[in-house]
Amino acid sequence: MTRGSIFKLFAYAVVAGAITTAVAVFIPWLPTAATRQADRMWFSIWFAEIIAIVVFAVVAAALIYCVVEFRVKPGDTSDGPPTHGHTMLEIIWTAIPTVIVIAITIVAAIVIHDNGKAGTNPLVIKVVTQQFTYQFEYPNGKTFNILRLPKDRNVKLDLSSKDVIHSFWVPAFGQKTDAVPGITTSIVITPTRTGYYPIICTQLCGLGHALMRSEAIVLESTEYDSWYASAGEAPAAAAGGTDGKSVYTAAGCGACHVFTAGGSAGTIGSSLDNLSVDAAKAGEELNDFIRSSITDPDTFLAPGYAKGVMPSTYKSSISGAQLDSLVQYLAENTK
Amino acid sequence: MTSVTHDHHHAPASPSGLRKLTAPGWYRVLWTTPLVGFIGLGIVGLIRWAADWDPIWKSGPLATVGTVSFPMGLLIGLGGFDFWTYYASGKRTRPDSHDGHGATSWRDYFRINTDHKVIGIQYTVTTMLFFVISGFMALLFRAELAQSGDQYFNPQTFNVLVTEHAILMILLVIIPAFAGLGNIVIPLMIGAADMAFPKLNALSYWLLPIAGVTFIAGMFAPGGGPSAGWTCYAPLCAHQPMGNIFFNMAVQWGGASSIMTALNFLVTIITMRAPGMTFWRMPLLVWANFSTSLLVVLATPFIAGSQFFVLFDRVMHTNFFEAAGGGYVLGYQHIFWFYSHPAVYIMLLPGFGIISEVIAVMSRKPIFGYRLMALSLLAILVLGFSVWAHHMYVAGMAGWLRVPMMASTLLIAVPTGIKIFSWIATMWNGKINFNTPMLWATGFIATFVIGGLSGVWLGAVSIDIPVSSTYFIVAHIHYVLFGGSVFTIFTGIYYWYPKVTGRMYNEKLGKLHFWMTFIGFNATFFPMHYLGTQGMPRRVADYAPRFQELNAFASIASYLLGASTALFLFNMIWSWTKGEVVGSNPWRAMTLEWQVSSPPPTFNFDEVPQIVGGPYEFGVPGARHAILGSAQAEPVATGGH
Repeated sequence: MTRGSIFKLFAYAVVAGAITTAVAVFIPWLPTAATRQADRMWFSIWFAEIIAIVVFAVVAAALIYCVVEFRVKPGDTSDGPPTHGHTMLEIIWTAIPTVIVIAITIVAAIVIHDNGKAGTNPLVIKVVTQQFTYQFEYPNGKTFNILRLPKDRNVKLDLSSKDVIHSFWVPAFGQKTDAVPGITTSIVITPTRTGYYPIICTQLCGLGHALMRSEAIVLESTEYDSWYASAGEAPAAAAGGTDGKSVYTAAGCGACHVFTAGGSAGTIGSSLDNLSVDAAKAGEELNDFIRSSITDPDTFLAPGYAKGVMPSTYKSSISGAQLDSLVQYLAENTK
Repeated sequence: MTSVTHDHHHAPASPSGLRKLTAPGWYRVLWTTPLVGFIGLGIVGLIRWAADWDPIWKSGPLATVGTVSFPMGLLIGLGGFDFWTYYASGKRTRPDSHDGHGATSWRDYFRINTDHKVIGIQYTVTTMLFFVISGFMALLFRAELAQSGDQYFNPQTFNVLVTEHAILMILLVIIPAFAGLGNIVIPLMIGAADMAFPKLNALSYWLLPIAGVTFIAGMFAPGGGPSAGWTCYAPLCAHQPMGNIFFNMAVQWGGASSIMTALNFLVTIITMRAPGMTFWRMPLLVWANFSTSLLVVLATPFIAGSQFFVLFDRVMHTNFFEAAGGGYVLGYQHIFWFYSHPAVYIMLLPGFGIISEVIAVMSRKPIFGYRLMALSLLAILVLGFSVWAHHMYVAGMAGWLRVPMMASTLLIAVPTGIKIFSWIATMWNGKINFNTPMLWATGFIATFVIGGLSGVWLGAVSIDIPVSSTYFIVAHIHYVLFGGSVFTIFTGIYYWYPKVTGRMYNEKLGKLHFWMTFIGFNATFFPMHYLGTQGMPRRVADYAPRFQELNAFASIASYLLGASTALFLFNMIWSWTKGEVVGSNPWRAMTLEWQVSSPPPTFNFDEVPQIVGGPYEFGVPGARHAILGSAQAEPVATGGH
């Protein structure tokens, strides 16, 4: 290689590297980290990002150089030089990537090791998932459908599922894990920023998957403590309560059903505004119809809806008193 | 040297009258398919009646048995088992007449044909048909995704489209497209007259349309189509509409086809190489298919198992993956990915082989580091079996398992890197002709580097956790399987088009096809990386309004991809009859398939060729790959015409 060609190759690499770096730096790829775990993950991403930029720049430069410089001249039918290989070069491009991937492995292994540590006194919250809702059970036995977390404290989430595989993900928290029927899975998070964050199910779990969402609220620890002390009375959404509207919200009915009185507009299931009409079609008294439709959803199917769309788990997940008030609430507020 | 000259092809006399109904063919299919099909269903009813089970006609068992019995009837009608049945019944064996060989009219492509070149075309055309069908499904759901909110499809239909798009692209397009190209060229490249088991070869092709039709029939099954995603995770997929049974069973047909072809490739490559064709003289495409076939034979039974078990959970009430009955939900994922990760290499290694052929020939240089190129294929093969659980970092499996899986996953970057560096080193100082196949090969390197780098990211546990199951994964898989595999398939189709048809494709349209695809592809899939890291999960018909603009952009770009495919199909169909007639070796390649006429004679070689050197000795004075009998086409010129 001549000095000129080395310079050209270098120039291509610099240009390719600069463009890639600009894409990496000026586009806000990652949400602002809101947990200590995400900080470590973002570090490992940037570590790999720098390596990726260098590798991409080198490969792109070599490829562009080939495309520009080694085009055959029109009419030239001769062959290129019969180079069969170069042992040293081949050793180098085996060895360097090996070192790089070992480095990435070590960094990532340290990050996940640190991210798995819950410390001595973590706040343990049970996350119970089902189609298509989350329930968060706190150490005092109270259950909510919104996750409230104290800032700067290690929180261990123990996930389980009542039906199929779901998943718990908050983009700004970094951590993610599936909730699997039959086993308990855990993640540790240590929130570092207060605020509201979406909780997203990332594992296809049925027709309402796209709507399986909740919210995480990170509070200053004093705020959290006072909320926790009074928890149970204040939020209307408490599933422990037996008020019909709270049960409606806590059981997640609104994720799938239109119900004007409940303020929900889900489109997976039939409209709950037409319950009287549907009950008449089924030939049943309204209250009985609502009750059997919740506990045994496949007995009467609203026109256009298939069997098995509505989970059949409610007969066990809602208590008798809750069911009574839910039926009453629906019967009173349907049109 | 054994002479392999044959009494050349003469078409069997077409039967007439009643013989039409008993001779193998579509008339016989007309009655064997319903006969065998309904016998299967009848047995189900009989057993349920005898056991006093209610109802006698139950959809689950009927669909399970029906998706076996009707296709079996079709295969019996076509004559897929005639030879073996005759043999097994103890009658006097019939001498092999070769009348199932070759094609003289379009009808010969619609029967059991034992000619590897005909089978290769059957495969390739079938896969292109499914490429169009499943690509069209993608355009449909991209229309839905162009805006947030629900527009055209309800969640059930959307999930069915996503599921079918993925499984058809994988099992009916990419994997069999390589089986098709391999079928056409492998026997030619190693100097063989055909594959080792031509009748098995014919049968393995016909399982493919059966798999495809079963997948599509599932979409229209009563109750709804398969909608649990192509990964069909238990327990969700055991509680899906009936279409999911069709999905489970179609995977069996596709998998069986894949295994039979791989066995055939292995035996052919091991036992039928021409004299002098040592392993170190084999073209890299043959090496690549050798490695791939080992993967297929060892891994494919696992996906078959996963689909059977999840089907049994549903139909026979077993509890493989039902937690309530003591089953282990993650067991499904372990078994499924034990195939489906090696499947990624099944979809890449043959493409690596194609790229090696094209880059050496179009750069007029020997492959740089030939032996390391072959060994890196084997390294990927071995490592490929020790990485499956990197699909399960967030699945809740044993935490310790993540680190070894990460180490072996990232190590695969080393042999893969060797391949990329060696291709560029092969181009270095070459006399590169950027015709259509070479453009595709170069474009493949560019996109595959991006897919490879995002693959290294996803291999690292701490990077994978935040982005897994998001659009980042969707972007990555398309960079690897579209920018990777599909680009290599196009490379191969353009490269061997003149060999198969005897005519050249239209160069201008070929290049336009490349640029439209290259731009459309990157515009569609690159923004998805961002959608994923920002919080858009995959497999959702509806998403947060803030992802609106990029999704609309990706949808519009995807229509450019659709248009480029139309251009490609036009070029292929038009050039088949109207393209410029070319000689046997338009690329001046050294491998054997280019040393016989285009299209090749029915039995490939008049005399078994003698291999005397490597396959890519460009620029080496006086070097030859093979010596062929005098009756062959013009000898290869090295170092210029």
